[in-house]
Amino acid sequence: MSKPSDMIQGTLDLLILNTLALQPQHGWGIAKRIQQVSNDVLQITQGALYPALHRLEQQAWIKSEWRASESGREAKFYTLTRAGRIQLKKELEQWERLSGAVGLVISMTAENPA
Amino acid sequence: MNPRRRLDIVILRLRSTFRRRNLESELDRELSFHIYEQIQENIESGMSPDEARRAAIRRLGGTDQIKERCRDMRRTNHIETMWSDLRYAVRLLVKNPGFTAVIVLTMALSIGANSAIFSVIEGVLLRPLPYANPDRIVRIYVNSDMYPIFPLNPNDFKDLRVRNQVFDGMAAIVRSDIQLSGAGDPVMLRGFQVTAGYFHVIGLPLAQGREFTADDELPARGHIAIISDRLWRTRFASNRDIVGRTITLEAQPYTVVGVMPPGAQHPGNNYHEVADGETVDVWCPFTFNLDPNNRGSHFIEGFGRLKPGVSAEQANAELSAIFSQMINEHPQSKGWRIFTRPLYQVMVGQTKQMLMVLLAAVGMLLLIACVNAANLLLARANARQREIAVRTALGAGRYRIVRQLLTESVLIAIVGAALGTLLAVVGVRLLVASLPPGFPRALEIHLDLTVFAFTLAVAVVTGLLFGLVPALTASKADLQESLREGGRGSTVGRGQLRLRNLLVVGETGLACILLISAGLLLHSFVNLLRTDPGFQPQKVLTAEVSLPSEQYRSGKETDQFFKHLIAELKSQPGVRYAGIGTDLPWTGYDENYGGFKIEGRSAEYNDKTTARYHAASPEYFQALGIPLISGRFFNDVDDVSEQNVLIINQAMANRYWPGEDAVGKRLTGSDNPTEKDWFHIVGVVGDVKDQPDSESAKPAFWWAHHQQPISDMFVVLRSDLDDSTVIDQLRSTVKELNPGLAVADIRFMNRVVDDSVSGRRFALFLVSLFAGLALVLATIGMYGVISYSVNRRMHEFGIRMALGAKRWDLMQLIVGQGLKLFAIGAVAGLISAAVLSRLMGSMLYGISGTDPVTFATVGLVALLTTTLACYLPARTAGEADPMLSIRSE
Repeated sequence: MSKPSDMIQGTLDLLILNTLALQPQHGWGIAKRIQQVSNDVLQITQGALYPALHRLEQQAWIKSEWRASESGREAKFYTLTRAGRIQLKKELEQWERLSGAVGLVISMTAENPA
Repeated sequence: MNPRRRLDIVILRLRSTFRRRNLESELDRELSFHIYEQIQENIESGMSPDEARRAAIRRLGGTDQIKERCRDMRRTNHIETMWSDLRYAVRLLVKNPGFTAVIVLTMALSIGANSAIFSVIEGVLLRPLPYANPDRIVRIYVNSDMYPIFPLNPNDFKDLRVRNQVFDGMAAIVRSDIQLSGAGDPVMLRGFQVTAGYFHVIGLPLAQGREFTADDELPARGHIAIISDRLWRTRFASNRDIVGRTITLEAQPYTVVGVMPPGAQHPGNNYHEVADGETVDVWCPFTFNLDPNNRGSHFIEGFGRLKPGVSAEQANAELSAIFSQMINEHPQSKGWRIFTRPLYQVMVGQTKQMLMVLLAAVGMLLLIACVNAANLLLARANARQREIAVRTALGAGRYRIVRQLLTESVLIAIVGAALGTLLAVVGVRLLVASLPPGFPRALEIHLDLTVFAFTLAVAVVTGLLFGLVPALTASKADLQESLREGGRGSTVGRGQLRLRNLLVVGETGLACILLISAGLLLHSFVNLLRTDPGFQPQKVLTAEVSLPSEQYRSGKETDQFFKHLIAELKSQPGVRYAGIGTDLPWTGYDENYGGFKIEGRSAEYNDKTTARYHAASPEYFQALGIPLISGRFFNDVDDVSEQNVLIINQAMANRYWPGEDAVGKRLTGSDNPTEKDWFHIVGVVGDVKDQPDSESAKPAFWWAHHQQPISDMFVVLRSDLDDSTVIDQLRSTVKELNPGLAVADIRFMNRVVDDSVSGRRFALFLVSLFAGLALVLATIGMYGVISYSVNRRMHEFGIRMALGAKRWDLMQLIVGQGLKLFAIGAVAGLISAAVLSRLMGSMLYGISGTDPVTFATVGLVALLTTTLACYLPARTAGEADPMLSIRSE
């Protein structure tokens, strides 16, 4: 399991924003979805997830409302705001640049082993 | 960031702050929803409900930690945290009134002292001078090899004014006190003669009327004057038609052409004295009636306003160029150089050193107070280890703990600063009231917004300063350890003890520096008081009487008046001696030298002779108690019909007639002396220095007033009567002789003596006060650390005693521990003091900055107080009970 400290903070934000881009979701749903989509590689602990959600909400990138969940219980659903969409775009670009760069470095090293 | 989002964030923050309860319950519900879903999932995967619940909770981790971190995320604007930290801090401080009182009072004293001293510095040094664009105003002087700083010659000034391109305007002034009559009692007013456009040059507009023009500078123009707002109000009942009215000055009609605004401050005085500030009441036009070829008389003070963009260096260069051109035209000016100085430097420059020393002293006091507070907080943080551990266990991050602790220390500092400001309100009043006479800009010193801002900034910075170390230490505490130890008196880490020791060492060092400073000032002051002034100031009344030249046209009339005055005064009972002289000791002689020729010496030798010149009547020296070394004093026979006589001082006799008797020798001021131009030296008197702290007396001579009468004289009366009777006597005697005359500057000679050391006394008093406080604080600090360590080790001491240690051994151990700290601190402090004392420079008198007496005394005093501080805890240690220790084992 990936501990929060192992994950770059920005990455968690990116994952959350990206998940919410599809549809509004509650915390449990977000964690589940990230876990499923990543084939159980990424398991978000609650200790990291909820503070992150609150931080993102405080930044006005996501907003929340209480409504009934699939199971019928009231749950806090988070929705991406317009500012959040712009932020997501920015973070995606940044991520691509970063992962591209990392990939480049790794492939270079692989081609020319010392 | 777009405005919409910014607004959203603000709303969110406000919501976090004010709807906390709602958000809290939402957080609960949110997390319990998560647990509910987890339980459902666990049940689906085949767990029993109970097992599912336990697993879910385990999975979630500490709910409290999560909640706290979520709260942290919301607290981005810090308001809420601050508010809760603040409430918590207040509760805690109120709960420990003793602790709070000690630490708050310490801070109040030191912050208050800083605010008071800062308000003086702000009013005197930092605030711009009260003139338009004051940084462009310079004073203009000349100097030569003999005279380091000297006034200008009026003809030189006129040429410079016409030829220069660097000034927007140039002006000159000369002190010229003037007698007002016909408006209440006659009074001597402080006055100046000023050139055209003077007020424009210094940037001080008039309240009414006009200032002097170029026409007013011409000789033989009507008498006109500009008066101060004070004079207008007090003597002319704020008469609206004052401009154009005639008043009586020097027994002559003068037309008032202008009135200055209230509080207008005059920026200049004679070049060696501080600015006259608010004391000037009359300004008259300066008239250029000097022989145009006279380039040798220097007596006016020059001012210039630099054109925008012209630097002081450029101005100096251009003035020098013009001046050397002028020397070519008038070779008698050879040897003189011209230079400028910023007005600011001239007005307040002399106070800078003293104020900086005071600021440094009070700053060190504040540092010591901070160290003390830090020490107290460290001790308490220790007692609070358990509380902090519990908070950490409940999910508070280190940042939150540090923040909470810093909130407390800043709160303490701010409460201290508030109290300190009250102290400063009183303190500043006392400070201003006890400022040495002639201190520049004293009226501008008060607590204002800048001082308050300074105080607040000092409070916050000191709060952080003395809170940071304890906060970091406390928050680092090992959680498990603390909780386990918490129950019984917890132990302190070695690191913390070392830290506290370090603080005490620092405190001791700082206190030593302050004590040395105070000691050096004290020793200087004692030296000053112990030096023989050269005169006897007790029971001597002095006053200034000046005769208007319109009423006393000839020297003979002047001499007649003063002869009558002295005779009248002497005929009164109780008067021992009555005399007159052009100068009084220690009142700031104008440093004028005159050249002279000694009979029988070469022309080259006589080219370099100088001495200060004065005039005196027969009993002047006896009245002041200046001793006769050889020859005789003046007598009433020395008058115009007799040969000219001189009395010289010891310094002059030593300089020009070393090893021989000066009495009987002759000198002259004339280039081609005839027999009647020679002055016979008839007596040598003891030396009196210019100022008590001047290095040595300068050569000086007095001529007999009878032979060359002067109209502005100081009366000197030595009398056995009580003070007020003598003053009445003098006043009524002058009034009988001429009811239109003012008796000015009445003061007793011991008052003059007092005033002349007042600057030193002022600095001495304040630095000693700060040093005393520093000593008390450092002693408390030492006591705190030692008694703390004793309390910690009582158990150990008991065992030691059980093993055979004597009471005395333990006491020695404790005192030794304190003295070791003291020794490190004191050595560091004394070395720093030896280096720093150089900065006190001219504030020291008769001693060096490493004065062994001061250093030894301070070392001893500090040693004694430290021993005292250690003695009480040592006694406690000596009372350790071996039985108690063994039983508890």
